[in-house]
Amino acid sequence: MKHALKLFSVTLALFAIAGFATAQERATVLAGAELTRVVPTGFYFQGLSAPTQMRNTAAARFGTTRFVIAGLVDTSGYSADVREKYVGFLITDSEITLNGESLPAGAYGFGFGTEGKLTVMDLAGKNLLSVPITNDKEMRRPRPLMMSADAGGVRLYNGRNYVVIAAK
Amino acid sequence: MWSSPRSKIRRRHNLFSKLVLVVCCSILVPFVLLAQTPPQKPDAQEPMGGVKTGPALTYTSRRTVGITDPNAPVIFEDVTDKTPLANFRHRSGEAAKDYIFDTPSGGAAIFDYDSDGRPDIYLVNGSTSAAMRGKEKAPRAALYRNLGNWKFEEVTDKAGVANERWGFSVAAGDYNNDGRPDMFVGNFGVSRLYRNNGDGTFTDVAEKLGVARKGWSTGASWGDYDGDGRLDLFVPGYVQIDLGNLPPSPSEAIKSGNAGCQFRGVPVMCGPRGLTGEGDTLYHQKADGTFEDVSVKAGVNDPEKFYGFCSAFVHVNDDKLLDLIVVNDSTPNQLYINKGDGAFEERGYPSGLALNENGREQAGMGLAVGDYDNDGLVDFHITNFSDDSNVLYHNDGDNNFTDVTFQAGLGEVSIPFLGWGTSFLDFDNDGWQDLFVVNGHVYPVVDTQQWGTSYAQQALLFRNLKGKFERVGAPPGNVLANAWPGRGLAIGDLDGDGREDLVINNLDAKPVLLRNVASTTGHWLGLRLIGDVAKKSPRDAIGAVVYLTTGNFRQRRDVLSGAVYCSQNDLTLHFGLGAATKVDKLEIKWPDGSTELIDVRAVDRVMTITQRSK
Repeated sequence: MKHALKLFSVTLALFAIAGFATAQERATVLAGAELTRVVPTGFYFQGLSAPTQMRNTAAARFGTTRFVIAGLVDTSGYSADVREKYVGFLITDSEITLNGESLPAGAYGFGFGTEGKLTVMDLAGKNLLSVPITNDKEMRRPRPLMMSADAGGVRLYNGRNYVVIAAK
Repeated sequence: MWSSPRSKIRRRHNLFSKLVLVVCCSILVPFVLLAQTPPQKPDAQEPMGGVKTGPALTYTSRRTVGITDPNAPVIFEDVTDKTPLANFRHRSGEAAKDYIFDTPSGGAAIFDYDSDGRPDIYLVNGSTSAAMRGKEKAPRAALYRNLGNWKFEEVTDKAGVANERWGFSVAAGDYNNDGRPDMFVGNFGVSRLYRNNGDGTFTDVAEKLGVARKGWSTGASWGDYDGDGRLDLFVPGYVQIDLGNLPPSPSEAIKSGNAGCQFRGVPVMCGPRGLTGEGDTLYHQKADGTFEDVSVKAGVNDPEKFYGFCSAFVHVNDDKLLDLIVVNDSTPNQLYINKGDGAFEERGYPSGLALNENGREQAGMGLAVGDYDNDGLVDFHITNFSDDSNVLYHNDGDNNFTDVTFQAGLGEVSIPFLGWGTSFLDFDNDGWQDLFVVNGHVYPVVDTQQWGTSYAQQALLFRNLKGKFERVGAPPGNVLANAWPGRGLAIGDLDGDGREDLVINNLDAKPVLLRNVASTTGHWLGLRLIGDVAKKSPRDAIGAVVYLTTGNFRQRRDVLSGAVYCSQNDLTLHFGLGAATKVDKLEIKWPDGSTELIDVRAVDRVMTITQRSK
């Protein structure tokens, strides 16, 4: 009985801590002025700075002070091989996970490969991380890039395809 | 069965452990499942080069030229060479197409400028950098008066409408309600408003009236958005160009070793992506006949500067207010819903019209407006770049649209084509609106590659089979088997035989005049509407909606200015009636919102209907 109670208390405490942490790190998708305040108007990647497509940007706040920002850029100034792999930027001011894979704080480029993965690159274009994308057939009005709340964090969408970003 | 207290505790312990396990599993399983979700091929991919288009596809042969069907019926006959239109040569920039302004000109119009009941033809011309600098004679637009029996007389000089600027678009509308259609000609440079003087001549009054728009004006549309009975004018802007600071041409890029702008890895002209777009302009007509720029106040100034190509004032919903659609190149389309207080609400994204079904921006060019499925609501067909399909948006009501392109049979076939002018027409008079699409590429280099596409392209004709479309093949040797670098398109019954004809304006080439010779037994009715200015309907009835019923079959037509691609269809409405020899009900919703029932005593003719004053 004592053992069971101990296990119960520990479990409860773990759930309470997890619940508190979740409440603390709950993801809020930003819109309007809150969004434009955090999105950069241009982004440096592999030797060029390209303007952000402001209509295709999204950001989320985890808790009160942690931000993740994503946006598509105008890649018309890049060579064909760069355009094949790079479509936009991902900026995070704290460690996050993409579909469970860790990504430290930093600014990155990303692209959607034909193999059904989202690839994150450093600013020199070196691949850092590749995670599979999920197709959301039910999505009624897909857009080139958007975020929506998800139980585990936020979904970063490209059309109907998405990955889940969570705070770590 | 009894058990000891110890065993009860053990059982509770086990029960609790199972509960913890279940809770943990229910939390973990979705993550495990998510991590195990197999990778899927994305259905949308960012574009290559200066336009928003789909993923590059590989073909073993060209799909845009030389496609014929020996069993196909003859629908159109080329009558160009029997008319003075054969002498018209469109010209826009140099053949290499080094710069973006070399490629998208120009529009065409079918409208009855002399009110003799026979629709006439206007062809917009482009220009050259040398002509802009005064170093060579500027190409001229042309007006052809319809004399009947496929005889036309060129009256450009007499009418004074040669333009001689870098022309792109034409939109007809009787802005001063004097019963004579006027013309707005959208230019790269300063645009013109040709007032019809009623004696066969026109006067450019753009400066005087405040619509001498500078910049790059494209497919304009007339419409009375505020219900004061006077036509207003919307003009999309495309790209801001500084002729003194042009982006590198493909040859310059190759020479300098710079990658320059590319399409599928091959150097091409730059743009529109990477170039600064231009805002749009709404001119409100004041009581004194002059115009004021109300773009910002009305919320249609396009602050994001999308690359505007085509527009139309049209009733998207059932209220009495004219809405506005703008088709943009490589940026989202805009749908402006009229709020009734002089302003519009942009609803492109929530309506589903901004993007295609996969949420991808496309290189929008032309716009067909019509109720293709006869459900009483107006639908849209938008043409796009090669490697991408044109899109048919079905109007679901309540300002909602669904991309039904592939279900309707218009997807796969259009992918290798680069579409421009598109228009619904009922070529066989069966009561179902068919579709005609004009095509042609912007990069001459495509002819040296195996990309499945070509610079000159065949036009596409689709027959409407009760809401689904099938391509009408081109008989060998027929005009539809020919390929052109097509741009503008205008539809109208030029010979009054009850079959809709058309004219195509081709880039750097002669136009094509197509006579409809389809063997059809379908009856028809043409309608010329005259609005009552005293009741605040514009005299040319732009904005009117007509519902025609034969038996259980109800069709809708809208009196429209603009759309197609920088072009103007005849304002006379055409209804195919199929086997019906009488009209059971003809209902006109006039621009002022009033409704009138008209008694139709005979078909197979054009009726002129004047709005009843009481």
